[in-house]
Amino acid sequence: MQAADAGAGGGAEGADDGADGPGSPGGAGEATAAALGRAPPVTRPRHAPRPGGDAAATAGRTGGRTYVFALCVPFPSAVEAEIACGSLAPDAEPHGGVVEKQLTVRGSVLAVRWRATNPRLLRISIISFLDQLSLVMRTMQRFGPPATR
Amino acid sequence: MTTWSRGACRAAEKVTKGQDVGFLPGDTARHHRAVILDLLQEALTEAGLTSQEIDCIAYTKGPGMGAPLVSVAVVARTVAQLWNKPLLGVNHCIGHIEMGRLITGATSPTVLYVSGGNTQVIAYSERRYRIFGETIDIAVGNCLDRFARVLKISNDPSPGYNIEQMAKRGKKLVELPYTVKGMDVSFSGILSFIEDAAQRMLATGECTPEDLCFSLQETVFAMLVEITERAMAHCGSQEALIVGGVGCNLRLQEMMETMCQERGARLFATDERFCIDNGAMIAQAGWEMFRAGHRTPLSDSGITQRYRTDEVEVTWRD
Repeated sequence: MQAADAGAGGGAEGADDGADGPGSPGGAGEATAAALGRAPPVTRPRHAPRPGGDAAATAGRTGGRTYVFALCVPFPSAVEAEIACGSLAPDAEPHGGVVEKQLTVRGSVLAVRWRATNPRLLRISIISFLDQLSLVMRTMQRFGPPATR
Repeated sequence: MTTWSRGACRAAEKVTKGQDVGFLPGDTARHHRAVILDLLQEALTEAGLTSQEIDCIAYTKGPGMGAPLVSVAVVARTVAQLWNKPLLGVNHCIGHIEMGRLITGATSPTVLYVSGGNTQVIAYSERRYRIFGETIDIAVGNCLDRFARVLKISNDPSPGYNIEQMAKRGKKLVELPYTVKGMDVSFSGILSFIEDAAQRMLATGECTPEDLCFSLQETVFAMLVEITERAMAHCGSQEALIVGGVGCNLRLQEMMETMCQERGARLFATDERFCIDNGAMIAQAGWEMFRAGHRTPLSDSGITQRYRTDEVEVTWRD
C-alpha cells in the first residue's frame, strides 16, 4: 500500500475569497495537480507575519474567508478505498459545522475535501484525520486483505 | 456465538499515572491508536479464533470523549468491512448494566451507575433503561478525582482508591453541603466548598486530610444511597446493582448494603475487573443487541459524545 505522501496530491490554497472572482491563483492549479497526482504550486500567504500578535491579527482578518484543503489518498484497489471511506466518513466534525469535511471515492482513490473559515480548527481537523487515516491503513495492512464477498 | 469488542480504559489509566490531571482526550486517543491493533491480535490469539469465526463487531458508540471514541470506532468499522461482519454500536452505560446483570445474576435491579464520567440511577421499564435520578452537574467520580488533586493525592493506582484508603484512617466528620435535589444529586457545590475549606482547615490543624477524605465519602455516598432508595421505593424493586468504577469502593457497597437490608432487598456488586470500564461489557451488550436483531449500519455508526442511556430501545428484554 502506498504511503499517503507518495504520489498523493494535495495542498493548501490561500484564502478563497469570492469577491476576487473565480478564486485564488492556487485554485485551478490545485485541482489539476491533484488529478495528475503532483504536488500543487505553493501559494504565497496573503499577509506577511508581523512581530508580536500575528496570530491575533490573522484571526481578526479571517472573518468571512473560506479556507479549502484537499487530499487524495491512493489505495491498491477500489474495495480498499471504499473500506477506508466507510471507516472515516461516519464521525461528525466537532465544534458544530465550523469545519466541513467531505469524503468521496473515485476509482481506487479516496478524495477528502475540507472547507472552513477558521484556519486553526481546519489545521486540527486535518491533523486528526491523518492520524485516523494512518490507523485505518495499518488496520487494513494487518488484518486484510478484504474477505471475498 | 462470539463477539469481539474493544474497551481500553484499563490501559488508559496507564496514561494518567504520574500526572496530576485527568484523562486528556488527545493523549488518550494517541494511546488507543498505539495499542489497539496489538490488543485486537492478542484477543483473537487468546480466544483461539480466526476472523471468520467472529459473529459481529461491537464497539462503544458513546457517551465519552470524542477523539478516543473515534480512534476505536474507525478500527471497528475497518475490520467489520474487511471481514464482512455486522457492526453494533453500543451505549457505554448499557455495557455496564448488561455486564453487571450477567456477572451477578440480578434479574431486574435498580442500578446505581457511578464512575468518573457518569452518575445515574437507572431502572428497566418497557423497553428502556430509564434514568430515575442523576447528577445535575459533575459525576461523583469526577468530584472525588478533583478533590484528590487538591490534596495532591497520588493517581497510582487511582485517586478514588487512595481516597478510600485514607478515609479508613479518618476520625472526624467535617460537615459538608448535602445536595440531594428530589431524585437528582449535585456535586460541584460540594467540590468547590471542600476545595476552599481544605487548605484553610488543614492549615489550622482543624482536621487531617484523612478526615476530609472520610467526610467527603460519607457525604457523597449517603446522597447516592438516598436517591437509589428513592428509585427503589418508586419501582417497588427488591434488587440493587452497583456498576461503574466508583462501585469498587467498599464503603459505598457497605452503605448500600445497609440500606438494602433495611428494605429487605438484595445488593449486587462486582469487583474491579468488571466495575471499571472494560471491553467485555461492550461485547456483552453487543451480543444481547445482536441476538435481538440490532445492526448498526455504517452510515449510523458515528460516535456521539452525549448518548443518554434511555435513548436505546432495549429489545432484548421483555
